[in-house]
Amino acid sequence: MAQVKAKMPRKKASPRQKKDWIAAYIFIAPVTLGLLVFYIWPFIQNIWFSFNDVNKFNMSTFVGLENYKELMGDKEVWRALGTTLKYVIVTVPVGIFLSTFLAALLNAKIRGKSIYRTLYFLPSVTMSAAVAMVWKWMYNEKMGILNSAIKSMGGTGHNWLTDSHTALYMIMVVGLWMTVGYNMIILLAGMQGISKTYYEAAAIDGAGAVTQFFKITVPMLTPTVFFVMITSIISGFQVFDTVYMMIGKTNPAYESTQTVVMLFYRAAFDYGYKGYAAAISILIFAIIMFVTVLQMIGQKKWVNYD
Amino acid sequence: MKNMKKIAALGMTAILGASLLAGCGGSSSEGGDSAKGDSKGKTELTFGIWDENQRPAMEAMAEAYEKANEDVSISIQLTPYKGGEYWTKLEAAAGGGTAPDVFWLNVLHLDAYVEGGILDDMTEVIGASDINDSFAETLVNNYVRDGKNYAVPKDFDTNALWYNKDLFDQAGVAYPTDDMTYDDLVALCTELKDKLPEGVYPFACPVDFQTWYYQTVYANGGWILNEDATETGYGEAATQEGIQCWIDMINAELSPSATTLAETGSDAMFEGEQIAMTLAGSYMVPEYASNETIKDKIDCVEVPTFNGVEDNCINGLGYAVYEGSKNKEAAEAFAIWLGSEEAQKIQGETGVVISAREDAQQYFAKANEQYNLAAYTNHSAEAYPLPVCNKAAELYDMEATWLTKAYTGEMSLADACAGLKEEADALLAK
Repeated sequence: MAQVKAKMPRKKASPRQKKDWIAAYIFIAPVTLGLLVFYIWPFIQNIWFSFNDVNKFNMSTFVGLENYKELMGDKEVWRALGTTLKYVIVTVPVGIFLSTFLAALLNAKIRGKSIYRTLYFLPSVTMSAAVAMVWKWMYNEKMGILNSAIKSMGGTGHNWLTDSHTALYMIMVVGLWMTVGYNMIILLAGMQGISKTYYEAAAIDGAGAVTQFFKITVPMLTPTVFFVMITSIISGFQVFDTVYMMIGKTNPAYESTQTVVMLFYRAAFDYGYKGYAAAISILIFAIIMFVTVLQMIGQKKWVNYD
Repeated sequence: MKNMKKIAALGMTAILGASLLAGCGGSSSEGGDSAKGDSKGKTELTFGIWDENQRPAMEAMAEAYEKANEDVSISIQLTPYKGGEYWTKLEAAAGGGTAPDVFWLNVLHLDAYVEGGILDDMTEVIGASDINDSFAETLVNNYVRDGKNYAVPKDFDTNALWYNKDLFDQAGVAYPTDDMTYDDLVALCTELKDKLPEGVYPFACPVDFQTWYYQTVYANGGWILNEDATETGYGEAATQEGIQCWIDMINAELSPSATTLAETGSDAMFEGEQIAMTLAGSYMVPEYASNETIKDKIDCVEVPTFNGVEDNCINGLGYAVYEGSKNKEAAEAFAIWLGSEEAQKIQGETGVVISAREDAQQYFAKANEQYNLAAYTNHSAEAYPLPVCNKAAELYDMEATWLTKAYTGEMSLADACAGLKEEADALLAK
């Protein structure tokens, strides 16, 4: 989030200000400590691990760039990156479109909208492993509700999760279902932050609801959309739980649904190559950082902070 | 956009809060492990296990041992197997010097653990006990590397052919028998095929090594891994024949397709009465026996022979002692006792697993007398151990991925095996 960086001339703090600071630090201490212990320190260790050959029992030998060299030549990594990229490219735009659409609907004056808001938000507070298991059954070729519905309408049904052409898209649907509600709430808050006076002025000038949406809501909402986009892309690159729960090792679509985080998990916990796994995670980190920096630069062209 | 910032801040706080909680959850359970009991002057042993179903048996054994050895107190640490949690935790604890004194270990993980140097060499204490005389040689040797014993055999699992009597009665076909051959099985399935209700298959052939194709591969004279784990045998005609025989059954529509079985496992289909017969490991017995739908309709017979050879795969667990244990002697004594007649009887009588000790194998069949469970133990001495090496987990995954392509018909078995062999041999050479 770009903020106005106003340069204030440095002044000596008064004792009262100092007291305030101490109180503030005490308040943020628990979170900061947690961050340091559970995020920052493991992250630094992880960078170190990526230059080592670390076995199951955390015994490590320094190997320099070996892990990264292997990474470059590992075609499974490239395939998984392609799969992950496909996931991001489809789910992020579709997700933003859907959540904006829903937010706009639920921002209108309709009956029972708080019920709808709750309903749409529910998937976000449900455990993703449970969600994945339920969807897995719904998709089931023989007894899933999806094929039952298709068959009752005269269709033939399909092996959605075991066909390598459809499995990834089925996982995307679950991913979208889980995140649309959360993004919708954020966008809704953004919409409600737009001053009513703009709409009143536009209405007086004779603008209809659609014109108002595209001329006022959309431009005023861009900072929120930008935030949602950044977080969706990051979580898209990290997709793991749905794939892990829904695709077994003997699934014919196994290879076409492996994401980079899946590879990381298998390398670290199934096969015991912790150094190599660390290198994979650094690769994911680098890609996410690169994409995020690009977006930060690109936002100047379309995000409206006025 | 004030609201925007608020939302962002709120979101961040929520994320951090959640992850903090998650972090704390993890650390508090770790903290519980090292908690010391209140006993004074007693030797405290920790005992690592992974199966909730077996906890009562393990507790009963620990209690019996404590009663006989008043200076020892044992605390059980259970970590679930699923998702590799048990191993992840054990490996981290072993690296940090805090692994349980005695813990369950399976053959699949043995080589890596021996290489990691975290297993106590138990050759001497095992030699001084009656273990070498009271257990099948294969089972003891499962845990021997370079002439050294690394674990006391705990239990073993073998396979049997299960059938649904109701479905056979409806079809008017005679039940399978203990002395069937693979050809008899195919003939029986063919006879059943048109007599079963719509959508019900006679049998199931999932891509499963231990319960299906390794048995026929070995019975056919094929092999998976050579002696020094430098080469794989997927290229051999004998190996491929042992796999092809199951694919043939899918192609003859005697089994659901591999894609169907990938979604709904053979156990679930058998429990849902969608298949009339299936192969199942002895570890499935408690689940079958407690399933209300099928428990009174099913029974089992021996795995059909292949080319006139008894074929069964055997796998199992052992009790290992942690090399870094602070009470190694007490831990060794406890591990040896866990292989004693008394301990193996307590375990066997729960009926959850087959006790490895020869004089205690009978209790498994006795615990569920309604079934012909002797099918599991009749030929256990001739059963094939699983091929293992320190990269076994990765090798099995690779094998499953490639063979799935042959099972679905995406490529021929010969092509899949050629691709698999190339990749697997490269893995072994790494």
